[in-house]
Amino acid sequence: MAVELDHVTYSYNVNDAYRVDAIKDLSLHIEEGTFVALVGHNGSGKSTLAKLLNGLLLPTSGEVKIFGNSTLDVDKIYDIRKSVGMVFQNPDNQMIASIVEDDIAFGPENLGIERSEIERRVEWALSKVGMLDYRKNTPFKMSGGQKQRLAIAGVLAILPKILVLDESTAMLDPKGRSEVLKVAHELNKQDGITVIHITHFMEEALNADRLIVLDNGKIAFDDTPEEVFKRYDELKAIKLTVPWETQLAISLKKVGIDVGEGIVKDEELTDRICQLL
Amino acid sequence: MPIIVKNLSFTYSANTPYERKALYNINLQINEGDFLGIIGHTGSGKSTFIQHLNGLIKPQEGEIQLFDFKLTSQKRPKVNLRALRSQVGMVFQYPEYQLFADTVEKDVAFGPKNLGLSAEEVSSRVRQAIEMVGLDYEAVKDRAPFELSGGQKRRVAIAGIIAMRPKMLILDEPTAGLDPFGKEQILNLIKYLKTHCSPTIVVISHDIDEITRFANRIVVFNDSRIVYDEPMQQLFKHSIQLQNMGLDIPRAVKIANALRDRGVDLGDEIVTAEDLMAAIVERYNQKHGTQIDKDSCVFDMYDFSQKWLTSEERAELEGIERPIKEEDKHTKKSKSKSIDEDKKQKRSKRGKE
Amino acid sequence: MRDISFGQYYPVNSVIHNIDARIKILVTLLFMVTVFFIVSYTAFAFMFFLLTVSILISQVPYKTVLKSIKGILVLLIFTALLNIFFTSSGNALITTKLLVITDQGINFAIKMALRFTLLVLGSSLLTLTTTPTELTDALEYLLKPLKLIKIPVHDLAIIMSIALRFIPGLVEETDKIMMAQKARGANLDSGNLFKKIKAMLPVLIPLFVSAFRRADELADALDARCYNASPTRTKLKVFKVKAGDIFVFVGFAIVMTAIMLDKYYVGSFVTAPDLNGFDVSGLDIFIYNILYRVGR
Repeated sequence: MAVELDHVTYSYNVNDAYRVDAIKDLSLHIEEGTFVALVGHNGSGKSTLAKLLNGLLLPTSGEVKIFGNSTLDVDKIYDIRKSVGMVFQNPDNQMIASIVEDDIAFGPENLGIERSEIERRVEWALSKVGMLDYRKNTPFKMSGGQKQRLAIAGVLAILPKILVLDESTAMLDPKGRSEVLKVAHELNKQDGITVIHITHFMEEALNADRLIVLDNGKIAFDDTPEEVFKRYDELKAIKLTVPWETQLAISLKKVGIDVGEGIVKDEELTDRICQLL
Repeated sequence: MPIIVKNLSFTYSANTPYERKALYNINLQINEGDFLGIIGHTGSGKSTFIQHLNGLIKPQEGEIQLFDFKLTSQKRPKVNLRALRSQVGMVFQYPEYQLFADTVEKDVAFGPKNLGLSAEEVSSRVRQAIEMVGLDYEAVKDRAPFELSGGQKRRVAIAGIIAMRPKMLILDEPTAGLDPFGKEQILNLIKYLKTHCSPTIVVISHDIDEITRFANRIVVFNDSRIVYDEPMQQLFKHSIQLQNMGLDIPRAVKIANALRDRGVDLGDEIVTAEDLMAAIVERYNQKHGTQIDKDSCVFDMYDFSQKWLTSEERAELEGIERPIKEEDKHTKKSKSKSIDEDKKQKRSKRGKE
Repeated sequence: MRDISFGQYYPVNSVIHNIDARIKILVTLLFMVTVFFIVSYTAFAFMFFLLTVSILISQVPYKTVLKSIKGILVLLIFTALLNIFFTSSGNALITTKLLVITDQGINFAIKMALRFTLLVLGSSLLTLTTTPTELTDALEYLLKPLKLIKIPVHDLAIIMSIALRFIPGLVEETDKIMMAQKARGANLDSGNLFKKIKAMLPVLIPLFVSAFRRADELADALDARCYNASPTRTKLKVFKVKAGDIFVFVGFAIVMTAIMLDKYYVGSFVTAPDLNGFDVSGLDIFIYNILYRVGR
């Protein structure tokens, strides 16, 4: 099992009156090789959950295990960080060096890996995110999407088994968002990396194997995206949306035009409308 | 008086290895009452352009007529930039990053104070601006901006601009980084400001589905130039060209284009989800002999029936983490039961008013 | 978005750009030490000549290099004036009730100004032709011996590298915040010093907030990428000194040593012509003799 959360609670300000439980008695298992989309509105606890996964935060109660290693075990923390690559929200605040390849090398350098191997990893990681041509460049003038792909390459160089994208698409434009998503799906399919994609955009969950919806520190839904989208009324009640195409089908149904259930992609929608007209 | 931009060109770091052309011979007229959308990918020149519109960048070539002000590359006559900036309100990307005062009230007052208004005038404008962005003045005025939620901070920042009562409002990526609910609130706010605050609004956005929600005219920047300047309904006849520039087209247009490719032509003036639905309903009625009213089509991504709530209700909706005090803990349970009751009462009260 | 040159680095491909950064740092240090030792105008002229040739080879426009003087101009003038007004030795040129200006004072002032100018131009040539990363790596390498006395050289190098990486971003951010506050009618550049500082608060506060937020996020990113995971850290980039680099270093070292020694040895062997007590070195006399012979 790649990720195991066992009755995890995480509270900010544990010992005083301002205690806030961001994660409440949450249990979750994620199998190796799955693409999980984790969706929730701001304040639902999803970023806290992300930081629990690589020991940046430690659970107030309960236990988080990554491939059987508990994050509470001090001796295992670097094993855990090696297997969980984490990419954050702001593309500008994750890069350490001023030259792309130096930055990608930072992780493996920290692990004391041999130089020839570092070189190989840098090349591999950059080609995986389609940025090999930029290895000597400075990230300063790149687009948000490019910077985020570099951030992914930076964690790929430590050869993680799990990739956590902690709202990594939130600050990007639609083009940058689709670039990052494409890379994440490729890594999942081609290299078998488990991806946990945290986002507040429902449509980014479309191609996930599993969609987990978080609300108020608890799991509200946990199913395939198609199944979750069917319960759009409940989603709206917790300030979430369904993908545009699904919403159009729902709105048409409301006025009496039934284009069928479970529509999530534009080709499906066009097909069904075509059949009706 | 409209805004007229003539032959405007601009180059960054001229005569250095970092030289970069940002604007090339821009001509544009913005009329009073325009709801103008500007699109173009990063580096297309659109941000540089709007910075010209309130005198943050001086034209290098060409001139700009802004209300009673004329901006040129000449040093004289001197333009009163402060007066100009009070008429052209500018909301930058991530405007919450400019908040600095220790209370919401003081921060919003910064702009009007800089205009040299009287204390009463400042405080009445502050109150009005805070209420206009949908926040409860009494509840937020003494709070530190930093303890508000992301969406609320952004609304406070916008209040800081509209408290200067600008005739025109420019917003650069107003919804960037917000979650869908926060985005929706800001979009609704912009529409509201159009009728209640600034009659002319210019919005820059990457998200075409967002722009088509309100714009009546769209200007497309590409490679430092304006390539299209058309009424919204007309722009997407150039779908292919726009996509070749790497720009998105609205989802409804995509669907309509795909349908046309398969022999179902719904006309070429479809831009929004409502347009698409109305066209589908019309065609459906013809084929199946039904009588569905196309005006009954609503595309409601959100349940916005509780649009103007009191601050407590809003806080509850938005999940602002208010510290729970000891004495509250005991009464909390009984309280939460009665919240729904309260809401109903308040809503009926407002209905009466 | 305003353009900000990256650090100071001027991106062209020249012989000087390609010299090993460690050699460049050492050569610059040598140059600086020499500048402090030289005394004669001939030696100053020679140093300027050397610098001009280097700048020409580096393909960085002279104007760009000269810009670096602008920043220290006030300091330059101030120290020069101090020298002029507070040197009492030498022959008095102007005497008033309050102060005496002597030829020696003017002599000191000019030399001080020349020294400063050489120092600044020399070090700018280094930063203009070396990327910040190269500089940091080279410094880390050169400071390695300090590890023996438990100075965390590597951490310091990381701090410096991060600082260099974030400076352009912070400059851009400052620019954005200033624009945003100006758009709210802020007056950021008039009034007396006190007013100016007060007027800058709406810029400084958001800037600090943003810097702390960045630091926080960066700390997470560092941890996530296993910072400090292994006691033995490796490096992607290993310095390899080329034959040309050694040649440059040795050549430069010989020339600089010669000029320094000139003051102490050659100068003391030869009797200088009387130049009103000005510092004279062997080089002066050497050139004087050549000119004398050519003249004859």
